[in-house]
Amino acid sequence: MTAISIKNLSKVFPIPFRRERITAVRHLSLDVEPGQVYGLLGPNGSGKSTTMKIVLGLVSPSAGQTEIFGRDSREVESREEVGFLPENPYFYKFLTGEETLHFYGKICGLKGAKLKERTSELLNLVGLEHARDRRLGGYSKGMLQRVGLAQALIQQPRLLVLDEPTAGVDPAGSREIRDLILDFKKRGITVLLCSHLLSQVQEICDRIGILHQGKLVREGRLDELISIESQTEIILENATPDVLAQVHALLSKSGARVISERKPQTTLENFFLEVTNPPKN
Amino acid sequence: MHESTLPARETPSLPPTPRHVFFSPSRIWAIATNTQLELYRLKVFYFLLIFALLIIGSSAFMIDFTFQEQFQLIKDVSLGAMSIFTWLLAVLATAMLLPKDIEDRTLYTILAKPVPRFEYLIGKLLGVLLMLLVSTLLMSVIFVIALYGREQMAIGDTMRAASAMMPGQLQSQLNDIKESTFTWSLIPGIILIYIKAALFASLTLFISTFASSWIFTIMVSVACYFIGHLQGVARDYWLGNGFGSPAASPLARIFLALVALIFPDLQLFNLVDDIVAGNSIKMELFAKTAALGGLYTCIYLLVAYFVFASKEL
Repeated sequence: MTAISIKNLSKVFPIPFRRERITAVRHLSLDVEPGQVYGLLGPNGSGKSTTMKIVLGLVSPSAGQTEIFGRDSREVESREEVGFLPENPYFYKFLTGEETLHFYGKICGLKGAKLKERTSELLNLVGLEHARDRRLGGYSKGMLQRVGLAQALIQQPRLLVLDEPTAGVDPAGSREIRDLILDFKKRGITVLLCSHLLSQVQEICDRIGILHQGKLVREGRLDELISIESQTEIILENATPDVLAQVHALLSKSGARVISERKPQTTLENFFLEVTNPPKN
Repeated sequence: MHESTLPARETPSLPPTPRHVFFSPSRIWAIATNTQLELYRLKVFYFLLIFALLIIGSSAFMIDFTFQEQFQLIKDVSLGAMSIFTWLLAVLATAMLLPKDIEDRTLYTILAKPVPRFEYLIGKLLGVLLMLLVSTLLMSVIFVIALYGREQMAIGDTMRAASAMMPGQLQSQLNDIKESTFTWSLIPGIILIYIKAALFASLTLFISTFASSWIFTIMVSVACYFIGHLQGVARDYWLGNGFGSPAASPLARIFLALVALIFPDLQLFNLVDDIVAGNSIKMELFAKTAALGGLYTCIYLLVAYFVFASKEL
């Protein structure tokens, strides 16, 4: 059974008092298998958010069908298995971190000792144990995203839908959220991720779909989509100039062409984190 | 940052266990108590200070009044203020609930959980009704304390003047004072004030399901308040029941019937004026008015659900 099944989905929004209509999604079909981290990519206005909202039952499709673990996503029951973190969520500023999780737990049917235990587990998991009694009005952007992830996980869903989970978060917070998503993957939780941070998507997604003007223009396993079949990358360590000369000689004899040769670089993110969080001796 | 404390799902590939129940009072209660908490933490009860000051301030005009007139004034001011404050509170508190949840995207996180839309709406309205109930009770307590304080002052003054009175006159005056202060007949009046506020909370919630902003919601709700109060006068005029008015055309009759159907006649809820004036009202009339208020509250909630159920979020 697929985690998400989208079949021939279309969504048309009528414009009030005009004859025009906006087609947000056109004949979209895709499947997300259980345990996968699926990246839904596309420029602004490409239909990503609309697709997510249809999957979550917040918007009804004009045509086609979406299912979550075999259940029609228009049925409220299908949301038993879903946790959702919207882009830039604010939640209720008047609640503390603990109260927020209690509220979401209660609407998912949790109560008593089980709810308290689950709240503590999740606050610990997202690193907000120290801020459990602080109101969300005083949380930083990164903390709000993390409490958002915790509420999404409150009823132990099998599917997480994350819309720009690292938007506006600093690099350290962004890496923490990325690590959490990888942790969810290890636990068998399926993740549908929408993000403009392509480097992060590349790090964590198994499969991606690219939407453009409501159409799915590319879809498949990430490593297959972005690998260049005719090229091979070899990274050498401690190679002396003699060894390199021999390699070049061998390559020129074989007829293969060296396209580029350079010192590998760390990522800017790693460099930034190294500078801002030096290792403690 | 985190430890691996989240228990791994034991059987992630198994089909989900059906746990969802179609109607859950505990889910509604969770939303209602959260809404109530939101309103309390927005410090809505500051208006109670204004209410208390209004009653204390009205005492400044009582120096030359008889005891009966003083009690009458306290009742008039208190119940009038209670009626306006509960109505205002109902409209202002309800108008921002739905738009704020949509703007902050909090609504998405709630409806992305297994929460049916009708439960969300009932929970929100129930939260406002609970807050209005607490507010009405607190205002009633302030009102009763003010009335009791004035009664004690009146009794003290009467006792001091007792030596100059004829035999039996003292008891008669004390009886007059007690009969003029708090009587149980005021309770139905206060209940009707609450029901009228509940009706407006429901109406405002309905308007906010399709309104583009909370300002628009408040404006339409206030307009409905005036329509509700004036429709009785308009009906009397157009149907030829009062002051030599022309007979209504069939079109006007249809229009009036429609208005009367959509908006309740709010003049009916002014029974409290009769009660303050010392007129007793029939229990049957009170029950009918309360039932009418309850019915309109339910109808507005139902219509709100139909609009909200098909709303694209």
